[in-house]
Amino acid sequence: MMVKSTLTSPIKEYLLAFADDEHLMGQQHTEWIGIAPFLEEDMAFASIGQDELGHASMLYSLVLGDSSEIDGFVFNRKPEEWRSCQLVESNHREWEEALMRHWCYDMAEDLRWELFRKSSHPELVSISERALKEEAYHRRHAEALVENLLSVPSSKSRLMEALEKIIPEVLDLFSPMPGEEDAISSEVVSGKYCDMFPVWRTRLENRFGVLDPDLFTGIDDVTRTRRHSDFDVLFNRIREVFLLDPEATW
Amino acid sequence: MKVKVLPSIQDIHTAINTVSDPEYPEISIVDLGFLENVEINEVGEVFIELIPTFSGCPALETIAQDVREATEQLPGVHAVEVTWLNSPVWSVKRVTEKAKKDLAEKFTVAVQIQNKKVECPRCQSETNIKSHFGPSRCRSIHVCSKCHEVVETLRD
Repeated sequence: MMVKSTLTSPIKEYLLAFADDEHLMGQQHTEWIGIAPFLEEDMAFASIGQDELGHASMLYSLVLGDSSEIDGFVFNRKPEEWRSCQLVESNHREWEEALMRHWCYDMAEDLRWELFRKSSHPELVSISERALKEEAYHRRHAEALVENLLSVPSSKSRLMEALEKIIPEVLDLFSPMPGEEDAISSEVVSGKYCDMFPVWRTRLENRFGVLDPDLFTGIDDVTRTRRHSDFDVLFNRIREVFLLDPEATW
Repeated sequence: MKVKVLPSIQDIHTAINTVSDPEYPEISIVDLGFLENVEINEVGEVFIELIPTFSGCPALETIAQDVREATEQLPGVHAVEVTWLNSPVWSVKRVTEKAKKDLAEKFTVAVQIQNKKVECPRCQSETNIKSHFGPSRCRSIHVCSKCHEVVETLRD
């Protein structure tokens, strides 16, 4: 039976940030369908993107209370109403950047779902359980591919260059979200996402070696209300088909 | 006034059992472990709860529609509500032996239980993993070490 949402507006705002990140990450991954460097990556990015879109749908359903409203909500919103982070909004043109973003994002995503494991909202406990199971595949894929590529010097230098570009965007992912304090005080989540950042950084440095500490300064206080300069291009791309017939049922 | 005869839960199960997965015609969604709960009330409203293999599965609406249509045909059924649940999480452990046999024989598809070795549906030899992701989200790709058959493998 349908679970009636008892989530307050600030908490919905908080969940929206997660849903928007997941949705845009899924959309970005799907851009590689048909053009990834080899077939296995084509399938992997399609599947991983599909999972992220699925996670976004579960969260949007909870925020909106009705899954049939998701498309209209997502595609008709104004840019300033999005709560996504810079990492998922930027258009990475090179494969190594897409791969490093996949690694960085999926090494951070399970840490985010873990905060919902003991949520006071039972539906979020179920959703997190399902998502965490799927995320194990994402991490395994990212790790296996990166491990292989790091063993080749020319690949390694390309990955490291991409990483330096992406780390500042990862800091934005961990920045405080609107509604986070309400979500914590009502035990919807068990803690601040930015407190998980050291875990992520350890994973990163275990894999890529110790990096310049200056890369890790500056998690901003207020983010997610500003859009990346790539956002307009991305937004127009993802709603191109929807806008052909906004009233259609898909 | 005629007494309204309602279908039994078993009748509804039988109806849902005729619905197959769009990816695997003739393999019932019940045997694939999608059906979680069925209820019917005194006025003939049926409530069916299903669980998806993966959250992003694009076939959910098609399957729900097929389940609604199959159930609506039963005499006494007034309305059908199909809900996809987030919990419990689907696992290959829910796939019946009958479905495993049909998947192997009709589709050359294997089912991987936890981390156990996947057997080739053709020659029963061991297979090796080729890609963790396959043509759909719930399948990986294995290759048979003996007959070199490419084996799509249903997995968690």
